[in-house]
Amino acid sequence: MDLEISSENVKATEDTEQFDIVKCYQKFLKEDPDVPMPIAAIESLVEVIKHSKATTLTEFMESLKDASQKLKSSVKNSISLSAGADLFLRFVTRTSHDVTNFEACKEHLMNSGKVLVEKAAAVREKIGDLGVQFIKDDATILIHSYSRVVMLLLQRAAACKKRFKVYVTESRPSCLGIRATKVLCKAGIPATVIYDTAVGYIIDKVDAVFVGAEGVVENGGLINAIGTYQLAVVAKAANKPFYAVIESYKFVRLFPLNQYDLPTHTPDLLTFPDLEHHTDLSEDEIIGNYEAINPTVDYTPPDYITLLCTDLGVLTPSGVSDELIKLYL
Amino acid sequence: MDPVKKTAKELKAERRALQERQRAEKAARAAGNAAVPSKKPASGSGASSTVGSTTATSTTATPLSETSGSTKTTDSKQRHSLTKEINNKEINNKQVDMFSHLEITKGANTGLAPKEIHPAILVLGLQFSEFKICGANARCIAALTAFQKVIQDYKTPEGTTLSRHLPTHLSPQITYLVNARPMSVGMGNAIRHLKWEISTIDIEMSDDEAKKLLCEKIDNFIRDSITVADRVIVEYGLQKIQDGDVILTYARSSVVQQLLLEAHTKGIKFKVIIIDSRPRLEGKKLLNCLVNAGINCTYAFLHAVGFAMRDVSKVFLGAHAFMSNGALYSRVGTAMVAMMAKEKNIPVIICCETYKFTDKVQLDSFVMNEQGNPNDIVNISTTLTPKPGLLSEWLNKPDLKLLNLLYDLTPSKYITTVITEVGMIPCTSVPVILREYK
Repeated sequence: MDLEISSENVKATEDTEQFDIVKCYQKFLKEDPDVPMPIAAIESLVEVIKHSKATTLTEFMESLKDASQKLKSSVKNSISLSAGADLFLRFVTRTSHDVTNFEACKEHLMNSGKVLVEKAAAVREKIGDLGVQFIKDDATILIHSYSRVVMLLLQRAAACKKRFKVYVTESRPSCLGIRATKVLCKAGIPATVIYDTAVGYIIDKVDAVFVGAEGVVENGGLINAIGTYQLAVVAKAANKPFYAVIESYKFVRLFPLNQYDLPTHTPDLLTFPDLEHHTDLSEDEIIGNYEAINPTVDYTPPDYITLLCTDLGVLTPSGVSDELIKLYL
Repeated sequence: MDPVKKTAKELKAERRALQERQRAEKAARAAGNAAVPSKKPASGSGASSTVGSTTATSTTATPLSETSGSTKTTDSKQRHSLTKEINNKEINNKQVDMFSHLEITKGANTGLAPKEIHPAILVLGLQFSEFKICGANARCIAALTAFQKVIQDYKTPEGTTLSRHLPTHLSPQITYLVNARPMSVGMGNAIRHLKWEISTIDIEMSDDEAKKLLCEKIDNFIRDSITVADRVIVEYGLQKIQDGDVILTYARSSVVQQLLLEAHTKGIKFKVIIIDSRPRLEGKKLLNCLVNAGINCTYAFLHAVGFAMRDVSKVFLGAHAFMSNGALYSRVGTAMVAMMAKEKNIPVIICCETYKFTDKVQLDSFVMNEQGNPNDIVNISTTLTPKPGLLSEWLNKPDLKLLNLLYDLTPSKYITTVITEVGMIPCTSVPVILREYK
């Protein structure tokens, strides 16, 4: 009997902790819509450290790993989130080896977490400064979907008195390209929305392509909104430079071999529905069906990327692996 | 004693007679033609310029000065080594010019070895030159184990220390092994590591302690860089094998074999296509092993790789060495398989331990390679009994040359990823690993 009650108690504390991490994470996202997902993840993990009842280092590490796993499994598209979480866990492991006193370790981690979060805001500014050199006066830029870093970069370039025009892809199904156009027009940059399917049509009028990313994988490839890979292939075929603008905390320890090796892979897309049922459905039902099985992100191999502008500097795709090995050494 | 002496005397007389005959022939020819460049063997008897098929086949009357001193070998053994010497001479004449910088090794001749070579090294040299031990990992482990024996039997001479004299004691052993078969890159790295370990031995340490420590260090190296590294590579590789995969592999890599067996033990349902090539036919051993484990296998030769590649989902390959420019140096034929896979957008995954990484840069398969014995190509049998094919008379055909290359280079653009014990890295990150982990 005693054992049952105690296990229930343990479960209750676990539940409150679980409640803490996912709810905490969502609270952070709501408070600041501009905060990047990996930073919100790191902040939530710092909260876990604060509320941690662990007394030994091993227990502490285990609870952190558990919390990180729960967070990753709670969100559907968890790539950038896992990048941030893994980075922070790696930092924790490193610190726990250096600092021997457990309490001091916790203090140090909480402070470092805060510092990371504060630095995050400055990271985008730094990338903006580096990326401005790639936008020449009187250039035509093509961007994909809505990326906060790319927006900041373009606004920075406009502030530097560069004159340029921007084509924005519509980016169905999220249609975030329309939001991007609004933001750009407000900043005084001429912008037009084009269909995703019109990228091939417009590419010869364009001087450079800029995209953000959800995550950068080990070989320097990108994981970004669906349509990025297509855009990269078209850009390469038309000999236009393809620049990725991305913060260093989005470097993730994945190595996809191809599109179907991603954790976000939707295997249902590769199967075909039953013919008998399909003919009876209304158009709305059909739309509902295929919207569920179509992917929301895709993988762009490093061969198509010219350069990556990060806060660690402007890197070639093979340089990303260099930085990752140093980070996770 | 007497019968041995007699044979020596007989041979000596026959030798002198042959030399006189050949000198006369040479004088006659030199008078007739322009100077025919004649390769001078060590004795300077000038017999090699003639194709000399008659001298090659007559086994009793063709002594060469290199074997003049070896009275300890029996008559038949002498004959065998003599024919091998002559064959080697003729093979040297029939060398392809483009690869003349790669010497065809004469093979291990235990009769000619200097007396300070340890018996374990003699055995190893023979095993290497006869290809009884094949494969980078196997050779490295065998070599290190043999060096352990050498170290254990070593005694520091008076007036010098172990850390100073042992490397000079090991050098002739290493040279002998290199003459039997050129060293692999991994073995080179291992021996360099061993020499470094020897140099850090405390002078105060007694001989026995030092020897024990060195043997322990060698064991640790084998464990860390090969055995455990292989297990970690298998762990990472398992993430990339899923149900329904059709995996293609080439020849026989020990790591890939371990990976496939482990994946099968874990219950993953996959098929394997093994591509093999002559003359080594190493894929057969892999096929045997996998079929005995119950894996669904297909076996084909290299010429069928384009056809076999249709259904393949992933290609796993092994490595002999990895260059700093991300190029893979592996069994000849690997480059073809990788190129074919890249053509069809199939991911090519290399499994390689970090001790095989080198900071050399290589752009093609010519600059550094290894030539095997061309006579291996003549035998077309797929069983143990040799069966010579149409090429058996190649020595007699003046314009025909045979080339037996053992390795080739796969450029980095054909390789998707490399699985090492430090993780999955793109092949361009090889110099980063060398820099960060050494």
